[in-house]
Order: sequence, then C-alpha cells, then structure tokens
Amino acid sequence: MSLEVRVGAVRLANPIMAASGTFGFGPEYQGLVNIERLGGIAVKGVSPVPWPGNPPPRVWETEGGMLNSIGLQNPGVEVFCREDLPFLRTTQTRVVVNVIGRTIDEYCQVVDRLEAESGIDALELNISCPNIKEGGMSFGQDPEHAAQVTRAVRTCTKRPLWVKLSPNVADPGAIAAAVEMVGADAISAINTVVGMAIDVKRRRPALGGISGGLSGPAIKPIALRVVYQVAQSVSIPIVGMGGIRSVEDVVEFLMAGASAVMVGTATFAEPGTMEAIIEELPGYLARLEVSSVHELIGAALPGR
Amino acid sequence: MESPRVSRYRIVSRMEKAKDHVELILEAPVLSRAVPGQFVHVRTPGTLRRPISFSRLNPVRGEAGLLFQVVGPGTAWLAGREQGDWLDVLGPLGQGFPRPEPHRPWCLVGGGVGIPPLYAALTAWQDDVTSSIDAILGARSQDYLIMLDDFGAQIDHPIEVTTDDGSVGGQGTVLGPLAHWHARHPTGQVYACGPTPMLAAVARLMQTSGVAYLALEQRMGCGVGACLACVVMANGPEGPLWRRVCHDGPVFRAEELIWS
Repeated sequence: MSLEVRVGAVRLANPIMAASGTFGFGPEYQGLVNIERLGGIAVKGVSPVPWPGNPPPRVWETEGGMLNSIGLQNPGVEVFCREDLPFLRTTQTRVVVNVIGRTIDEYCQVVDRLEAESGIDALELNISCPNIKEGGMSFGQDPEHAAQVTRAVRTCTKRPLWVKLSPNVADPGAIAAAVEMVGADAISAINTVVGMAIDVKRRRPALGGISGGLSGPAIKPIALRVVYQVAQSVSIPIVGMGGIRSVEDVVEFLMAGASAVMVGTATFAEPGTMEAIIEELPGYLARLEVSSVHELIGAALPGR
Repeated sequence: MESPRVSRYRIVSRMEKAKDHVELILEAPVLSRAVPGQFVHVRTPGTLRRPISFSRLNPVRGEAGLLFQVVGPGTAWLAGREQGDWLDVLGPLGQGFPRPEPHRPWCLVGGGVGIPPLYAALTAWQDDVTSSIDAILGARSQDYLIMLDDFGAQIDHPIEVTTDDGSVGGQGTVLGPLAHWHARHPTGQVYACGPTPMLAAVARLMQTSGVAYLALEQRMGCGVGACLACVVMANGPEGPLWRRVCHDGPVFRAEELIWS
C-alpha cells in the first residue's frame, strides 16, 4: 500500500515527519532513527545570527507531557548552511527548515540566505514559539501580524512556505485564513501550549525561562481541535502535530483534516516511534478498509 | 566506543544501598563495555527517560550497574523493579572520564548520588595508576551515604567521609578534605561528581594547580544532543557558549566550564 501524501507541491513518501526542535539538525539521532524511512524532518529553528537561548533548567516533566524553555538556541543561518546543510543534502527524505526571527526583516534575512542553497524542500515559518520575548509568537497572535510576516517572506522565495501556528490564540482559523490569503502553501499546527511549573524544593518556577511550552500527549486534544478548526477555514493543506505517539493518533489528525503529521516529544522517550508508526500504518489503514492515506484526510469534517 | 542503542536488559540483582538509594545490576554485555562517566537514559512510565550514570562496569561478567536516588515518580517506579524484570535502556550515552594519568596522584571526590560513577572509574583504572589513589565521599547524613563499603573493598587505606550533620565522618563537605589532599598533591588529578555547588567549589580549588574532571548533572530531554535542554555554560574559542551535558559531557575538564 502506498503511503505517499502531498503537502501542496511537496511529495512525502509517507505522512510521518519529525517535528522542529525535537530532532536537532538531522544527524543527532543517527544509529537510532533511520531518517530515510521518514516522510520528512523539520530541523530546529534557524535565525539570522546565533541565538543563545534561555538559561537552564530548560525542560521539566509534567503529567502527560513536558515543558520546554529552550528559547530557540541555534547557531544562525550561516553556520547552518555551512555545517548542517551538507548532511541534510545527502538524505532522500524531505527537509523542512524552520525559520525564526525577532522582526519581519530577520525572517526575510534567513529566507534570503537560504535561497542560494539546495537541499531544502520547504520552509516552516515559526510565528508561534512561546519562549522568546520578541518576535516568535507575537507574530502569530493576530491575523494582521501573521499576514504581514508571511507576505514579506513570500516575496523573498518561491519555495513551499508553511506557517506554524500557535494554539495560544482565540481564533487559529482566522490566522490560518489570513496567511493563506497572502500566499502560505500549508499550515503547521500546533506549536507548544504556554504553561509553567513550580519547583517546590527551590520555591521557584521550575524553568529558567519561567514559563515554557507544553508538549506531549497532554496537548493532543488541543491540537486536534485547532487542526479541525483550521481545516474548515482554509483550503491549503495542514501538517498536524501535538502529542502524537501512535498510529491511532496519526489517523485522528488525518481525519481532523491534516494531510501529514509531525512527531516530536514521543521521540525523546522512544526514538523508534516514527518508524514504528510507519510500519503499522498500512495494516491500520487496511483495517479501516481504505486503500490510501488520502481517503482519511478530513474524513471527520462536517459534510464528509 | 559502543554506539548508543535502545535495548531491553534483565535485572540480575537489586540492592538497597542507603535511604532512598537503589542499585540495579543489569545483564548487559554492550553496556558493560561503556566508559566510566557515561550514562544511560532509562525508560520509566513518564514522558521523558531518566539519565543514570554507571555505578559498575564489569565487561568480564557482562554486567552494568545503575545506582540512583528516588526523587520522583519515575525513579520511584524504577526502585520498584525486581530481579528478573527487564529495563528499556537507551545508551551508552555521552563522553565519560578519560583514563587517568598513571604517575599523578588520583583523588575521587563524590557527593551524594554523584558517588557511583567514581566507583566505576576506580574499578576500571585503579591498576593503571601507579601513584597514590584516594577517595573522599560526602553525604547529607549517614543514612544517605552510599558505596563506602564498595570503595573500602578496593582502597587499602582509610577513605575520607564527610556528612552535613556529622553523623559519620567529619562534619562539613568534601571540600575540607579535598583542600588538604590538594595541598599534599598540588599536581594531582581529581575526578569529581556531585551537586553543582560542590563541583563549582572543586573547580575553584583546582584552578591553581593540578587537573580536575567533573561529571555534571542537568535536567535532560533527548539524551542524544538534539533538543538542547541540558546545557551548561562553557568557554568557547570566541567566548562563552552552551555545551550539552548529554552529548559533549557529562564529563568536562573543570577549566572548560563557567560557573555563574
């Protein structure tokens, strides 16, 4: 059974990708995950200059999930192009570069610099990271700002442009519709949910960054609701993510309207999660009596 | 060096080592060839694995020991495992201690649950060191002191012990005895593991002379260098930079690190 799916112009061998921030720049999981088996990988967010990230502790386990406050530490686009892209060019899997900035101009600087480079299949515009003070999530808070940054980046590149949305907003569907209007090719949903924890032994917030982003199974219902809502607000494809760890989770996201999915936090505990899902997917589809992934996309939407 | 893998290993014995401290011995030939100071990421029912250093490495018997403190639900679950149970383990991970220099006096300094990797280092390399070998072990109180008997079986002269409350050994921290040792052995080599304030103090003490390698602890996510959670500030060629405890460490040379 073919597991191939398309996210706009991007063909994936299967709908399972690694989520940005959980899979480094590609080689970190070598020997533990066969990246050639994956539908794609989204690398860690890349900014125009190196970003130091937030003070530790940067992770804290919570019931059914975890908080992170990495703060988008990354070596900057120059180092990424010089040291990380050569490895990524050797893989057949789809490479999605997550792009971050503090200003619209910074997003454009990254995208401009990447224009000269091969080996990139799509850009994922991160307007939803909860862990930085400026830029990041602030662009994803309302339709107007989201459209401004998307429109600006759209003029810099013809590459497939995915916009990653935050769940920490009143109406994600409106933001999705606004970025679709100005040329986004797909929506990634969702980024982490803002939260915090207290370390009772220290009587302080558990994370160095005070608040952080919640991920893992605890946020799956939140993510499904956003995907389901966005699917009714736009006609471009959706890449769904948030707490996925099983083939059944994947099928839920497909039925809610996602064309493909990303797996993140689950990889930390079980590096083999994505490959196990890909292995189990054909049998699961057969039990649902469908002959392709495509038949399930949006199956739970009203009017289907 | 053994490359990391996810595998299941059988527990061949379980010991209560002190209050809230349990040691599990795994039948694990691959892990038994790890380097002292390396660690494994153990699957527990929660979202993240638990990083635990090797307390023993016995490549002849194909066994590896994990000694941990019960601090939360994950480690409480782990402490409930019994002989014959299986553990899901990712490892071996990280960079361990280097082989000690044979002619330098060697001192192993452990605080609390930082003691186990030093025992693994001692048993791996004690025959390589022709100079003196000493150990200084610290704990909150006698109830929490681990592996004194293990060290005693390897080292034929008294082991320095300190406790915060003086219930065994000298009252105070390992820093007092270490300062004396350093005064007697100014060019010695120190391997240390313990709470961050203790390691910072060891690093300060060893600034003037000698060599110190420190095994660090930090809240960890992936364990393989991908998520950038477990960072520490270190000196880089162009100024301070974050290094990953899981991948660049957990063992660092003292002078590599920047203490806030």
